[in-house]
Amino acid sequence: QVSVLYFARSAELAGIRCETLSMPRQITSLQLWEEIVKVHPRLADIRDQVVFAVRQEYVLLGDQLLVLQPGDEVAIIPPISGG
Amino acid sequence: VNSLINVPEDFIKPRSEKLSVGEMSELVVSPYCGAVSLFLDENNFEGKKVIHLEYEVYTSMAETKIKKICRDFRQKLPSVKHITVHHRLGVVPVTEANVIIAVSSPHSAESLEAVMYCINTLKASIPIWKK
Repeated sequence: QVSVLYFARSAELAGIRCETLSMPRQITSLQLWEEIVKVHPRLADIRDQVVFAVRQEYVLLGDQLLVLQPGDEVAIIPPISGG
Repeated sequence: VNSLINVPEDFIKPRSEKLSVGEMSELVVSPYCGAVSLFLDENNFEGKKVIHLEYEVYTSMAETKIKKICRDFRQKLPSVKHITVHHRLGVVPVTEANVIIAVSSPHSAESLEAVMYCINTLKASIPIWKK
């Protein structure tokens, strides 16, 4: 079970800022995205613009294999606009 | 030479509080350092009717990233002494500062370089969003 955090546009589309979801212990970042989109289909709109932050490190959507521990933080990161 | 990073405790400011250039300067001043550089980024009109901007941040990751930016930079320029970064959160009225970065070092060239490095890296990699 991991904590999923939603920011900016992804929070608007998902209608939620954070939740706990069950995920396989080993999963590619793309598969992780697809699991999350199953829960919040509207997120598919921003698929090409987001990256993940897993345990506070940026991860692109793709073949990278993630090893998730219970309680890990996964964040959906839309294009940043600070400063 | 001791290095102090004010980043973790000073990064988050309550939204009702204005960022203060004077306060930032005082945080980094040191007898070993002749130069203090400040970078200030303000909301501006850009021809549109903007009353205020609001910021959202992934706090824990932003702090981790800023600490890392400062650590990396210190390896490149060990003479840089104090670095402090404040980013205003929540609702920020136009003409008030969103971000202030203050860096002190013995000489002005390093201080300016450190500030530019911080702001460029900050804009590229810190998880903050304008609403």
